[in-house]
Amino acid sequence: MFVDTVIEDKALHKPAFLIGLFVAVLAFFFAFNFTDTFFGEFLRPVIGEPKESGFFGRLAVSIVLAVLFVLNLFVISFFKLKGQIAIVWIELFLLFLAFAYSFDLKMSFIQSRIGLMISQGLFTTIYISAVSIVIATVIAIVGAIAKLSNNGFAFAIASFYTSLFRGLPLLLQVYLIYKGLPQIGFMVDAVPAGITALSLCYGAYMTEIFRAGIQSIPRGQWEASRALGFRFSLIMRKIILPQAVPIIIPPTGNQFIAMLKDSSLVSVLGVWELMYLARTLGQRDFRHMEMLLTAAMIYWALTIVLEVIQARIEEKYKQKG
Amino acid sequence: MNIKLSLNNAVVVLLIALFSISMSAKAGDVYDYIKLDNEILIATDANWAPFSYIDDDGVMQGFDVDVGREIAKRMGVEARFITPAWDVITAGNWNMRWDVSVGSMTPTASRSEVLNFPATYYYTPAAFAVHEDSTLTVPQLSGKTICTTAASTWEMYLQGDLDMLNAPAFTYDVTPGTITSLVDGAACLDDVRLGAGVRNDGMIDSLPMILAAIDAGYPIKVLGDPAFYEPLSLATDKGNDDPELDAELARIITEMQKDYSLSLLSIQHFKNADGTSADYTVSY
Repeated sequence: MFVDTVIEDKALHKPAFLIGLFVAVLAFFFAFNFTDTFFGEFLRPVIGEPKESGFFGRLAVSIVLAVLFVLNLFVISFFKLKGQIAIVWIELFLLFLAFAYSFDLKMSFIQSRIGLMISQGLFTTIYISAVSIVIATVIAIVGAIAKLSNNGFAFAIASFYTSLFRGLPLLLQVYLIYKGLPQIGFMVDAVPAGITALSLCYGAYMTEIFRAGIQSIPRGQWEASRALGFRFSLIMRKIILPQAVPIIIPPTGNQFIAMLKDSSLVSVLGVWELMYLARTLGQRDFRHMEMLLTAAMIYWALTIVLEVIQARIEEKYKQKG
Repeated sequence: MNIKLSLNNAVVVLLIALFSISMSAKAGDVYDYIKLDNEILIATDANWAPFSYIDDDGVMQGFDVDVGREIAKRMGVEARFITPAWDVITAGNWNMRWDVSVGSMTPTASRSEVLNFPATYYYTPAAFAVHEDSTLTVPQLSGKTICTTAASTWEMYLQGDLDMLNAPAFTYDVTPGTITSLVDGAACLDDVRLGAGVRNDGMIDSLPMILAAIDAGYPIKVLGDPAFYEPLSLATDKGNDDPELDAELARIITEMQKDYSLSLLSIQHFKNADGTSADYTVSY
């Protein structure tokens, strides 16, 4: 998006907006009584015993919270854009940590198992996702070309494939391949079954992305290449795909990130990947939140890595263009 | 499954390449393959302490796991554990993905249509549990919401449809209003701990597992006398029927009962509510 050259005054610097915001936030904090929490405890010198402070206590806590909230926004508004983004990120992350902290987590428990989560779980998750991504990409290129061809059979097969595999829930495909293929004589273990399901499902989505990317290249490019006497494979490799790739990359990166997390569906087959270990490792001591939150952080960190990689690739193609 | 046929050539080639890795499709006598591979594949749950769970080092542990290891030892082969979902095991049709289930399965008439039960190796009580603030009694659980494991004998009991084989007589004391069937007992425990009547009014599971949860500090209590006693057996696939394997399993369990190694494992893994060790390998 282009940065608009018309710069308006900051809303947070207008008194009317500040007062309106304050009232709205005050109403919010008053509606959700915060008297029994840490904040009520903090204001004990003013309101006395938090539980018996009644209407006055509740109002006092709400006002303090609302003032803090509005003041926070007001201060942030004086920073430069990058500073603002960093501060808001940090504050939201601290809120998330506070949410996790409220579960009364046992850190030593996480420490004793995080090694296994990473060596066994993370490794399996990345292995399954990486193999599936490679296969899905190959399927997508072949499928996209088939969908763009004027060969009736190729188009029919490719469109049937995308229709079927985009039309079924991924979990259902996992079960169909795991339980169904042995019935017709193909013995598939859990991991290959999961990889097959992920590849076929995401191959179908990516076929459509690749097709749209190739179609977005102007007709003239094809015609000019043909006029020069290039063969189809050469046109594709040297002229069409290099132009289509920058268009394809953002949605494809999205698919990669989605697949990384959808690989958790393979856990229903008993594969010891991240999600499966998150569900089972806490069992012996009946501490499940610890493992689930650990897995959540690992998935999130992985996704951030993929986001950074995607941004780098996009940047590279931007310079070329 | 016509899915494969409908894909274009490149995909078919890819799929075949993928399958050929795992295409060592076994057929014929299961026991011969166990001996040939020098490895018995044992299906069990990984989320059901103290019967079977994953320890800090990522190794399977628990009563069922130790029984499985002992069976492999006496068979003279290595044990490898596979951890599919419970309903995948009870559904049968294993296609030799694993050879035997050492997972505390109760023989029932419906299960015996797809599975063989070569040897019963212990007996446990099934009991109701509620949040410790709950004032309900067992008869009052009727009409309430009860949580249990999908495709379990406890679910069959709640449905009034428990067709156990060779089991002590019992009565259906509770007819729940709603049965919440979750993936395993651990999921039920986490719902019950939230409070009486929050997500459900109570749960039913194996007594040793409930006691282990109480031991771990869960705010729950066992309600009344056990609902029923269930025999727990090894299971093999009827689709790949192998009388030789079944006979060998039965022989090993009898041997373990005779030399008390089965009792020792039970005492090692199971505790009563008062902290004393429990031997569940003796029939009621």
